[in-house]
Amino acid sequence: MSAPLYEAFDLALDYGSQPALRLAHLSVSAGSILGLTGPNGCGKSTLLKILAFLLPPSRGRLLFRGHEVADPAAARREVTLLLQEPYLLHRTVFDNVVFGLKLRRDNAGREARVAEALAMVGLDPERFARRRWFELSGGEAQRVALASRLVLRPAALLLDEPTASLDAKSTARIHEAALEARRAWGTTLVIVSHDHAWLAGVADEILDLRPADV
Amino acid sequence: MDFILEGLVTAVRLLAGLDPETFSAVWATLAVSGLSLTATLLLGIPLGFALGYFQFPGKRVVRTLVETSLSLPTVVIGLVVYAFLSRRGPLGDLGLLFTVSGMAIGLTILGLPIVLAITATAVEGLEERLRFTLLTLGANKRQVALASLWEARFAVLLGAITAFGRIVSEVGIAMMVGGNIKWHTRTITTAVALETNKGEFGQGIALGCVLMVIALVVNLAAGFFRRRAKP
Repeated sequence: MSAPLYEAFDLALDYGSQPALRLAHLSVSAGSILGLTGPNGCGKSTLLKILAFLLPPSRGRLLFRGHEVADPAAARREVTLLLQEPYLLHRTVFDNVVFGLKLRRDNAGREARVAEALAMVGLDPERFARRRWFELSGGEAQRVALASRLVLRPAALLLDEPTASLDAKSTARIHEAALEARRAWGTTLVIVSHDHAWLAGVADEILDLRPADV
Repeated sequence: MDFILEGLVTAVRLLAGLDPETFSAVWATLAVSGLSLTATLLLGIPLGFALGYFQFPGKRVVRTLVETSLSLPTVVIGLVVYAFLSRRGPLGDLGLLFTVSGMAIGLTILGLPIVLAITATAVEGLEERLRFTLLTLGANKRQVALASLWEARFAVLLGAITAFGRIVSEVGIAMMVGGNIKWHTRTITTAVALETNKGEFGQGIALGCVLMVIALVVNLAAGFFRRRAKP
């Protein structure tokens, strides 16, 4: 069993007086795939945003690689989240996928890495790289958004309902891309999904979140 | 009816013959509009972005002031700028009254609230998902701000075109601050007003046609960017 990439203790987040998340303990091993399920409103998406260092918890401790994160901006360079309804930048597919590399001033082999990421999600770089954001179907947009995360070769990839409203082909591609990311770079995956059957086929472990406490 | 037809014939002759006086007004219009639009964008885009992007005490008051100044009467702007630039005014020593630069100051005051308000509204309308996306792709605060402005670029350009349309067709400020001096500060709109008063419909119609062509180009550009802003 590898060391945990994430560990959380008594994690809580409130929106005003409204409790959004209560989680007694969470441990995610490096290189594992954790599935998260639970009823609407139990805090699955909120938990992913906390793990992505986009939201600070109201209370509790979150350890990343065994330490509390002092600089969330630096941690966000290692961890990335695919939102339930991904936002594509108003640019071409290539510019969307290469965006994170440009932010990091990571210039080495950019075109090859973009092509690799697009191929991982089943999009032909020759056909898709120059397409603009509004020329894509919903499934293609979802896969471009995933490619823009995969190109970063993240330590942790957090997926929020990645297969919701997708056809079988796109769902299979996302499944394959997730497994390929773990195999190639040892990426840890945390996946929220209501599709229990799909999640059972991907995840090493499934955690069922409850609204009040886990 | 005859004088209108005669005016149309004269207009065609003036435009086809590249009449120097007619085209002097066209060039003056383009010069003053270009100058004031440049100043409007240099000031309006950063200020509009700051107004839409950041939260600060008194933001609603500033928004209200900006939106109120959208409907500022042009003669009031002309009056205030004239008062400041006239020999007895606080900026009289600069010698800007009845110059293209002086007119550009007045027209910048006219265009600024348009660019400011449209930019601020566009930036405020950006989705929360964009901010999360930029952050999770690794953007720092400065990169999030710049990328957000880039996402709003079509709406900002629409604001620029709207401001240009307002500036190029303005008459009150141009007349009061520019003085309608032939070969110098006489623009299309002030020339049309003057020539019509003199009963010289030919030049008025010719210049009116040029203004209509400019309006058409501006409108086509605005339509293009409006479609791009909401694909």
